[in-house]
Amino acid sequence: MFIKRLPKFTYHTPSTIDEAIELLVRYNGHAKVLAGGTDLLVAMKKRSVIPSHIVNLKTIPGLSGITVTGEGVTIGSLTTVAEIEKSPLIKENFKPLWDAAKVMASPQIRTLATIGGNLVSAVPSADLAPPLMVMAATAHIKGPSGERVCPVDHLFAGPSTTALKPSEILTHITIPLQNGRGIYLKLMRRAALDLAIVGVAVSLTVKEDNICQDAKIGLGAVAPTPIRAYKAEREIIGNMVTEEVAQKVADTASRECAPITDIRATEDYRRSMVRTLTKRAIMNLWEGNR
Amino acid sequence: MENERYQVVGKPVERTDGRVKATGKARYAADLVAPGMLYGKILRSPYAHAKILNIDTEKAKRLPGVMAVITGKDFPGIPFGTRPDTRDQLPMPITKVHHFGEGVAAVAAIDEEIAEEALDLISVEYEELPVVLTAEDALKPDAPLVNEFSKSNIAYTSDFVFGDPEAGFKEADYIREERFSSQRVAVGFIEPHACLAEVDASGRILLQGSKQSPYPTWRHMCRALDIPLSKMRLVTPFVGGAFSGKHDPFDVDFAAVKLAQITGRPVKIVLNYDEVLAAYRQRNAMDATLKMGVKRDGRITALKAECILEGGPIAGIGPFNIYFFGAWLNLPYKVPAIEYHGKLVYSNRAPCGTVRGQEIVLAQYAVDSLLAIIAEDLGIDQVEIRAINAVTSNWKTANGIVVDVSGLPECIERAAEIIGWKESRKSRPKGRGIGFSCASHPSGVRLGGHFGSSVLLKLQEDGKVIITHGGTEIGQGCNTIFCQMAAEILGIPFEDVIQGPSDSDTAILDSGMFSDRCTYWDGNATIAAANDLKRQLADIASKKLKANPDELLFKDSKIYVKDNPERAIAFIDAVRTAYYELGTPLYGRGYWAATDIDLLNWKTGRGNLAHGTDFIATAIEMEVDEETGVVRLLKGVSGDDAGQPIHPVMLEGQVNGGSAHMTGHALLEESLYDDKGRMLNYSWRDYKQPTALDTPEYIVEHIHTHDPYGPFGAKGAGEASSCSTLAAIANGIYDAVGVRIKDLPITPEKILAEIKKKKEGK
Repeated sequence: MFIKRLPKFTYHTPSTIDEAIELLVRYNGHAKVLAGGTDLLVAMKKRSVIPSHIVNLKTIPGLSGITVTGEGVTIGSLTTVAEIEKSPLIKENFKPLWDAAKVMASPQIRTLATIGGNLVSAVPSADLAPPLMVMAATAHIKGPSGERVCPVDHLFAGPSTTALKPSEILTHITIPLQNGRGIYLKLMRRAALDLAIVGVAVSLTVKEDNICQDAKIGLGAVAPTPIRAYKAEREIIGNMVTEEVAQKVADTASRECAPITDIRATEDYRRSMVRTLTKRAIMNLWEGNR
Repeated sequence: MENERYQVVGKPVERTDGRVKATGKARYAADLVAPGMLYGKILRSPYAHAKILNIDTEKAKRLPGVMAVITGKDFPGIPFGTRPDTRDQLPMPITKVHHFGEGVAAVAAIDEEIAEEALDLISVEYEELPVVLTAEDALKPDAPLVNEFSKSNIAYTSDFVFGDPEAGFKEADYIREERFSSQRVAVGFIEPHACLAEVDASGRILLQGSKQSPYPTWRHMCRALDIPLSKMRLVTPFVGGAFSGKHDPFDVDFAAVKLAQITGRPVKIVLNYDEVLAAYRQRNAMDATLKMGVKRDGRITALKAECILEGGPIAGIGPFNIYFFGAWLNLPYKVPAIEYHGKLVYSNRAPCGTVRGQEIVLAQYAVDSLLAIIAEDLGIDQVEIRAINAVTSNWKTANGIVVDVSGLPECIERAAEIIGWKESRKSRPKGRGIGFSCASHPSGVRLGGHFGSSVLLKLQEDGKVIITHGGTEIGQGCNTIFCQMAAEILGIPFEDVIQGPSDSDTAILDSGMFSDRCTYWDGNATIAAANDLKRQLADIASKKLKANPDELLFKDSKIYVKDNPERAIAFIDAVRTAYYELGTPLYGRGYWAATDIDLLNWKTGRGNLAHGTDFIATAIEMEVDEETGVVRLLKGVSGDDAGQPIHPVMLEGQVNGGSAHMTGHALLEESLYDDKGRMLNYSWRDYKQPTALDTPEYIVEHIHTHDPYGPFGAKGAGEASSCSTLAAIANGIYDAVGVRIKDLPITPEKILAEIKKKKEGK
């Protein structure tokens, strides 16, 4: 009911990923990995999770940082939201992610919270998820049987559940070079320090003849997980970008999502805000293109 | 400039608590430690309304490290309350729980982990009772009774008629009636409730807690603990904000004391904020209907109001709230006739006190919204209708409050000018609007004969003065301004007056920090104390200077003969003479109470119960996004009449702070409950207080007046702006997008729904 002090747990400080995985295997489901801790510690104080073991990933070198590669960028899973916010590279080339980083939580939380943690916590309103989805980002996962990759689109299995097995660790995210332009719009109850009521990320590639070559739309806080609005995307790909088309896409997105009514907003409001924000995002990108 | 008459008053001196707070060195209740200290924790009810059949604490008591476990039965069972006729509260409940999160047992242990573990070992047998959630529930004929000390769910009433409302409505050219409602909001101070209780060898209790008004806390606690007043001492450490949420004693304070008595060891209890949001003071929910009659030019002829406040399971300070709502409909506009019916009802939600501005906030929201609606109906300019009705100097309200000085007309004029009202009527961008509201607030009401303030000045042999007063520094700056006032009178530098401790053993008699009374009442007591000291020094100096004591002036650390500044002695020489030649320690004693005004007549509601009515006119410019319903406040301008500003920068902080505070009430905040009375959003994540980014750019225009009774002509200041903000925002939204939301908070969803309705209606 009310928060308490942290429950007792055994604390582990592995120095390699393999060592961390070994610990996760050993404690089979009773261990939790610690990154920024901004979600985990609160959940533990509320007793909604009571892990007997905490495996701190921050003692493993090399899991943090933003690196440019030939194909795009690699972001270590322990890279903090503040580092993303401060990166000119992200701001210039992967703008939806930067948009999301700068409006997420508070400066204090952003200094601790990590990109990996935001994804693996898998809350429906995770700000960094829709931007990564629309930029075709890939999650790189390591487990006892080796490394595997998973598009961020397919990373989420439900509220607070991901495609990761209990013994797997998200090591880094890669984002390919972007052809088009993108944006993330977040609607909150207050101007800062708030969860998204609706988060909309859009990436558009528009050719010189004003025909949309590619479009991706990611929605947050309007379904059990962050989602892509595939139907809405199909309404625009191959079409001329106009205000009418943007409206049609927005209408489809608002139908495609599956929001709930809770203490933050009603289902109706969320749907209509998906419509408003999707249209605004498309218009913003299109007008910026012209 | 008025200010040049003064050396220290009216100057933005450095706050006495500024550095220590800004550098994190100030010690709040949670920082206190005592040898052998134990940690207390409170077990809370998961039900909003249930009988307590049994509480088994045996297992918890046996846990190693647990030193004591208590329940309501460990207290004498004597109820306490704000008024003799509303003693409806126990330190901890015995027979039933009244709201979600109510404390039912408390543990003291050697550390916090053990104390928490012990809570899980206490088993409470409850029998759920039907829940009274709203005023409507409470007033149903077959409603379950909420409070075991009351035979009715009506906790208090206030009814009055002044002037001839019937004639007033007959005389009116236009009459409009509207219903307004307001939600439950939390108080919003930063520091959660916390205290450290100790019992000395003689059994005398020392309580150091985060309390706003130690005097009522002390009185109520001694009654409920059944001990004489002399058996308890309260020392108040730094307090991290209060805003009317820390007046009375809570289970936190009672439990710490009782656990300390039982264990013989100091006990500290510090709450988490989720406990504060779920189970402690909030603002009453309001449901009010107002009917106003006006002449064709907008002049008010009569007002009729009915108000129901839903205040949780205790009356608390609710009797004041339900009276104030009606009383302050008489201001800030000239209302010649008024009829008022108010009811305070019990419910199974968190207990209410009030929040900054008391329920005057709600009264002024309702009356100013209605005035705006009427102006719109009659095509009268919003500024004009306020100017035409504004209370002026030497005005006596229908219920008998005498307004000596009113700067309101000028406040309105300046606020309108600065916000650019006239220009905005010619053209403004789509979705932009400006809302106005005026308000007034008393500078301390006289609600009882014991309402008073006292100050003690100790002049040390080094010429420095230690000041102790009954006020509490809760962030409003009283520990700075009384130093300013004493320095001004004694003609010594501000730095030579040092703030002493807040200790009930030395500073006595102060009814508390509410109703904008501290500057005014304690300020006058400070002046009296400084003058007392000055008289003693003048006696000494007059002999040295061979002059009449009445001829002496105190300035620049000198005492000199008026019109002959060469005939002077240093202030310190007079002090040294007292200490080193005459063997006389120097104390200045001062007290003040507004005994020249009325003690409120609770039966009739009549009485001039306050001096120093302060005034404010607030104009807020905003932008409403018609697609999302999001309101963005752009600029807030307040013309503020607080008399003579004592510290202009802190005064601005008070004006802006009050307005920012109510931004949350207007747009964001609401304590939500499910149908079983369990609170749904008791975390800072889900309870939305505004951030700095939600508040506009603020401009304060001081309208300098001189109150004849106030210290240096000052009036109170901290609460008026909270009273003028709700209606300003509601009125501004109407100006921006043409929809009026009459039930707070004004959420984006409500705005969109009204916009949709309006479009469909066309």
